[in-house]
Amino acid sequence: MPKILLSALLFFSLLGNIAIAQTMTVTGTVVSVEDGLPLPGVNVVIKGTTSGTVTDIDGKYNIQVDSNQSLVFSFVGFETQEALIGNRSVIDITLLIDAKTLGEVVVVGFGTITKGDLTGNIASVKGAEIANIPVPNFQEALQGRMAGVFVESNSGKLGEGVKIRVRGTTSISGGNEPLYIIDGLPITSGGAIGDFNPLADINFNDIESFEVLKDASAAAIYGARASNGVVLITTKSGAKGKTKFNVGVQRGVSSPTRKREFLNSSEFIELMREAGYNNDLRNGIDPINNPADFEGSDLEFVEGRLDRYSGWSDWRTLETETDWQEQAFNPDAGVTNVNFSASGGDEKTKFYFSTAYDKQDGIIIRNDFERISTRLNLDHKVSAIFNFGVNLGFSRVRNNRLSDDNQFNNPIQLVALAPITPIRDLEGMLYDRPTTTYYNNLIDSENAQWLNTSFRNISNIYGEIQITKDLRFKSEFGVDVMNQNQEQFFGSRTNSGLSTNGFARSSWLRIFNYNTNNFFTYTKAIGTKHNIDAIGGMQFQKSEDNFTSVEGQEFPLDELRTLASAAEITGGTSTLTNFTFLSYFARVNYKFNNKFLATFSARADGSSRFGDNNKWGFFPAASAGWVLSEESFLKGNETLSLLKLRASYGLTGNAEIGDFDHLGLFGTSSYGLIPGLTPTQIPNPNLTWEKTEQFNIGIEFGIIRDRITGEIDYYDKSTRDLLLNVPVPATSGFNVQRQNIGRMQNYGFEFILNGAVVSKENFNWNASINFARNINRVRELAPGQESIPPESSRSLNGIFIGESIGVFYGPKFAGADAENGDALYYSNADMTETTNDINNAERMVVGDPNPQFIGGITNNFSFGNFDMNFLFQGVFGNDIYDGGGGFFAANGDWFDNSTRDQMARWQNPGDITMIPQARLGECNGCQASSRYLSDGSYVRLRTLTIGYSIPNNLISKMKISSARFYLIGQNLLTFTNYKGWDPEVNADFSASNVSQGNDFYSAPQARTISLGLNVGF
Amino acid sequence: MKKYIIIGLLGLVTVFSSCNDELFLTPFQSIDQDLALSNDANVKSVLIGAYAEMRSVSLYGGRLQLYSEMLGANGEIRWEGTFNQPREMFNKSIVVNNSFVEGTWAAAYRVINVSNNVLASLEVVDEEDRDRVKGEALFLRGSMYFELIKLYGLPYVAGNLSTNLGVPIVLTPTRGINEESFVSRNTVAEVYAQVLSDLTEAEPLLPPTNGFFANSYVTAAQLSRVYLQMERFADARDAANRAILLSEANGKRLVTNFMDAFNTNGDSPEDLFAIQVNTQDPDNDMFTFYSLPEFGARDGDVAILTNHLNGYESNDDRLTQFFTGAGELRTAKWRDQFKNVKVIRLTEMYLTRAEANFRENTAIGATPLVDINRIRARVILPAKTSLTLGEILKERRLELAHEGHIIHDVKRVRGSINDNTGSDVFPFDSPRMVFPIPQREMDANPNLVQNPGY
Repeated sequence: MPKILLSALLFFSLLGNIAIAQTMTVTGTVVSVEDGLPLPGVNVVIKGTTSGTVTDIDGKYNIQVDSNQSLVFSFVGFETQEALIGNRSVIDITLLIDAKTLGEVVVVGFGTITKGDLTGNIASVKGAEIANIPVPNFQEALQGRMAGVFVESNSGKLGEGVKIRVRGTTSISGGNEPLYIIDGLPITSGGAIGDFNPLADINFNDIESFEVLKDASAAAIYGARASNGVVLITTKSGAKGKTKFNVGVQRGVSSPTRKREFLNSSEFIELMREAGYNNDLRNGIDPINNPADFEGSDLEFVEGRLDRYSGWSDWRTLETETDWQEQAFNPDAGVTNVNFSASGGDEKTKFYFSTAYDKQDGIIIRNDFERISTRLNLDHKVSAIFNFGVNLGFSRVRNNRLSDDNQFNNPIQLVALAPITPIRDLEGMLYDRPTTTYYNNLIDSENAQWLNTSFRNISNIYGEIQITKDLRFKSEFGVDVMNQNQEQFFGSRTNSGLSTNGFARSSWLRIFNYNTNNFFTYTKAIGTKHNIDAIGGMQFQKSEDNFTSVEGQEFPLDELRTLASAAEITGGTSTLTNFTFLSYFARVNYKFNNKFLATFSARADGSSRFGDNNKWGFFPAASAGWVLSEESFLKGNETLSLLKLRASYGLTGNAEIGDFDHLGLFGTSSYGLIPGLTPTQIPNPNLTWEKTEQFNIGIEFGIIRDRITGEIDYYDKSTRDLLLNVPVPATSGFNVQRQNIGRMQNYGFEFILNGAVVSKENFNWNASINFARNINRVRELAPGQESIPPESSRSLNGIFIGESIGVFYGPKFAGADAENGDALYYSNADMTETTNDINNAERMVVGDPNPQFIGGITNNFSFGNFDMNFLFQGVFGNDIYDGGGGFFAANGDWFDNSTRDQMARWQNPGDITMIPQARLGECNGCQASSRYLSDGSYVRLRTLTIGYSIPNNLISKMKISSARFYLIGQNLLTFTNYKGWDPEVNADFSASNVSQGNDFYSAPQARTISLGLNVGF
Repeated sequence: MKKYIIIGLLGLVTVFSSCNDELFLTPFQSIDQDLALSNDANVKSVLIGAYAEMRSVSLYGGRLQLYSEMLGANGEIRWEGTFNQPREMFNKSIVVNNSFVEGTWAAAYRVINVSNNVLASLEVVDEEDRDRVKGEALFLRGSMYFELIKLYGLPYVAGNLSTNLGVPIVLTPTRGINEESFVSRNTVAEVYAQVLSDLTEAEPLLPPTNGFFANSYVTAAQLSRVYLQMERFADARDAANRAILLSEANGKRLVTNFMDAFNTNGDSPEDLFAIQVNTQDPDNDMFTFYSLPEFGARDGDVAILTNHLNGYESNDDRLTQFFTGAGELRTAKWRDQFKNVKVIRLTEMYLTRAEANFRENTAIGATPLVDINRIRARVILPAKTSLTLGEILKERRLELAHEGHIIHDVKRVRGSINDNTGSDVFPFDSPRMVFPIPQREMDANPNLVQNPGY
């Protein structure tokens, strides 16, 4: 026996040796599993090399290969297969249909479903698609990748809010952000101190997939909180097998996407002197030609100011030429990322572990962002019927923050300072007022700090028991603890601390949010034709928000910055608020013969936020699908390989209002340090959810064996019982009452097309296009109410029945009067008459901040070991109101430095220009009007990645399984007609549902180019 | 198996039915309105709440004074700030959605509503304090209607009292929004009648001293202002005289050095009524707009022009208030941070009594000459031996300059205001020196009629 074994071993080893040496011809036929017909054009590649061939019209191939090599057969729409040659000379292959399109698993509320069985509308992005993008939060990384999901950052300031609208804006006074759920836990996504974005705490390299539930069928399982869409975030988990390690590093540089052009010293002096002199001429004096008129003239006043603003230097000789805008930007901006992950497991236990360091040095001075995060996800199978797991995520974010856009210490407001002003005096100290026109906020760089630190723990545990073959029960408990601390110090030289020897504020916030989901899942196939998949259960969530803040002044030294050193504590507060949701839900998916699909879901929600008369709400939804390509007349058709129709209808709610809006309340106040009470709120015991009815109809198709796939959806969302802050006569002592009143509609379509454009041996090109049109219309307000006009005289956003929310409403600017340079406005709706008195101007809708279309085009290329992908993202048809224009584009109205276009001001009778005559302090056209409105459409090369993977044969010797170098560029190109800093903007201090599309000294986005390396082993 | 499921479900239902109680939460920073008005202590707290509203920057916390100065600038001061709301007043071209105009309207009616709440809950107030509480609430309400009518309606002296529109009169607390909430404007005559009714009822109810809250002499002083606007000089004289006698009896007097009357911690001896400002409650918009960065204010939004200085006699001690800062002339009356906002100073009462005595040819309390020379002596100016009405009004203008009196005095004496740059002259009854009814209010309440010229 041993002898036989030995000979056998020898024989095989000999065979092996021979095989290595032997090059042979292998032939075969490739057929499809579906119909057994031959497949032409299939790629046949020798594994680990770039050589190969393609099957002919009869599906046959012929290739020279070594016997120890493998062949890889790949074809669009089919699963790739590998075959070891061995001693075979004929290898026939049957390719299996790639289940990727139809069989792709999509996460839905409280479960998963295969894409083919889906009857709702869900956008899905895999974490891998956005890994390594150098932005601080996943929201920005998702921009342009999902149809109908609009993403906009307020500005290029790091750590700040990002606006997301799923299929438009549904609410006027309530929240419009989607509900975010990580691994079943609704997380805290707002309410942080300042404009800090709580979602920036999340390291998105840990995310397996993002799913956005858009239609009622998909979202109604989240009932009263689903009207704005639901973002389901699933973190990565381990897989059975060898432990895989991955190490990544990335380093890059950032710069602003654009700068504006401001006047230089000589232009500034020319414009300001002209502004004063024009006033003098209009007042009947001529200080230039009659020196006697100079004293007391506006020209004298201007020159006095120029003397003051030029400090030690002489404006007459243009001694100083300061580019203040340049001072606002950080020349050393960039990104650094280091991450490590390990995942693996065995039959019983699987794990995923990661840790990462992200650092971004902002393009604006005094602004950076640093995140350290770690995650451990663990699943353990105790027995055939019981498993449990835990997901632990921790992070710390340190964010050096900036004031809001409407503060003198917003770095961008440095542009208001005069170019004739030197930055520093002759002693080297930074100049401040009165030499600078306004506060020189560079002083903040030397004499202040504003640090935000956030500790976040988003974790959950679960247990799942298989009760019978068909029935499972899962119980989840999750916590989201957000601890945020903001330490602000403004030294004795700063604007805020000047008169008080410094000012400091320390604020602490803890939001403790816990949630439990307990639900049954029932899956049953009855016979061969009926499939039932059902869930039912309950959810309870409670969130507690605890805020404390102390402020003080009178510091002995600017180096002592904590409040312990403040001689005078001037303020302090602590507040507590909370809310709860208790919900019961159920859903049934039914599939008949793989052709007919139906889903019914229902949820009942109760919340502390609603009035006693309306504590509970009920939110049902239903949907149906018909897979036509499974019908006999289409089955097996390769040209139209998939055709599915689906429709859904359902009811969702919006509960994003204040925690106690239904009560009649008196709040605390004080006078002369004596406490008092004042009415703060009128009661409304009937207050209840906003209800959104949504209808969706869609078609999914696949052409040429799903080589091209697409989806087209039409939807109509109608929201009623709007949670509206209805303006009431202020003579009542109140300005608004929260009522359920009014209607809003969003309707539109979404279009998605994915295609494998080229699929050759060594060259693959996949493209994906998404495109969406949303039309938002305010349909009804309070009885008799036609509009909610702009709230402030510096803004134009208003609400009008029949228009989109937040349309720009105000006087229509008509340019400068050719005769006298007066700013003109149209005084009638037909725009045939003009007036120079803005109070007589016809107020009308002059623009719309809501985009008409949004879209994105992604292209992925792979060429041998190189890969490239790029995303163009676009927003079209929206307008932007440049609110700073009233100061820096006001034809020399005051001493703020102006943008260069103001030099085209009216000067002589007959001049045809849009820039009125320069008149100091007379506001000749500086008020809010369409003058400062312009088209904000843009197309942006959002992300470009070029990668090179080192061939396996080179790295396998180093025990490395993969190594890829890449270059990634973010916001490399922007195409827009907008003349401001950046068309992606929404000034943070005013941003609201209504106040959209405003630019106000807002920071541009960062353009980042970085190099990275990922190594797996 | 089924049994386990049922037991499991029952168990869950038991555990989570307790969650149902969690749906009824109450806030931590506020209390229910019924509770707030349920007992003596709470109603008194609500009264404090009315003062807290009244002290806001939109009212006596600075803007009422600022508006007067902006409307009455008359080439003597210049608005240089970036805020367009005061600038529109300065230029007499106010936009209907001027947010200051809107804010003041709303704030005044908040005070009125809180006062109405107090007045409707007097029965739970302890008997011994009831008069005082009632008097203070009436003082607050009357004062607010007085400030509103001066800004949002044509002046009393413009006549047509029963047709010129004033502001809506609301005398009951708001418990909900219903048809009655959509009020109409009352006439100028009706609003003045309400002001007089509230203040005259309040005066005898109030004690002579009441901390820094309203008392009987403050109410008398406020009444003297109302009567002056109405040209009821004898009543103005008597009210001013009552304010003087009672306040002097309680320690009020002119401070020796003129500038010591300003930037004081707490009330100075000559403050009859001032808004209490401290580091906890720091808002003072006269400081914010008049002072300079080195004192913690904005950039010096108001400059004093030489035109204004020309009015003073050369040795006038009041000239010491002017200093150069941020390249312009400034007044130090509002220089320092965290200082009380003066609303009524004792000097005003002397000036009112002098003017009214002069006009009525009487000498109640003192002769006009005595009162005027009292003011002049304090600022080291020689005593006058004879007086004209013009001299009295000029003394008033200089003594009370930059304190929010100017436009109301110009209007009641049927004066006029020169445009700041052009040659326009705005007569006392010019609609452009009357605020518009805020656009927001016009939109929220279709029963309102806009002022002429808007």
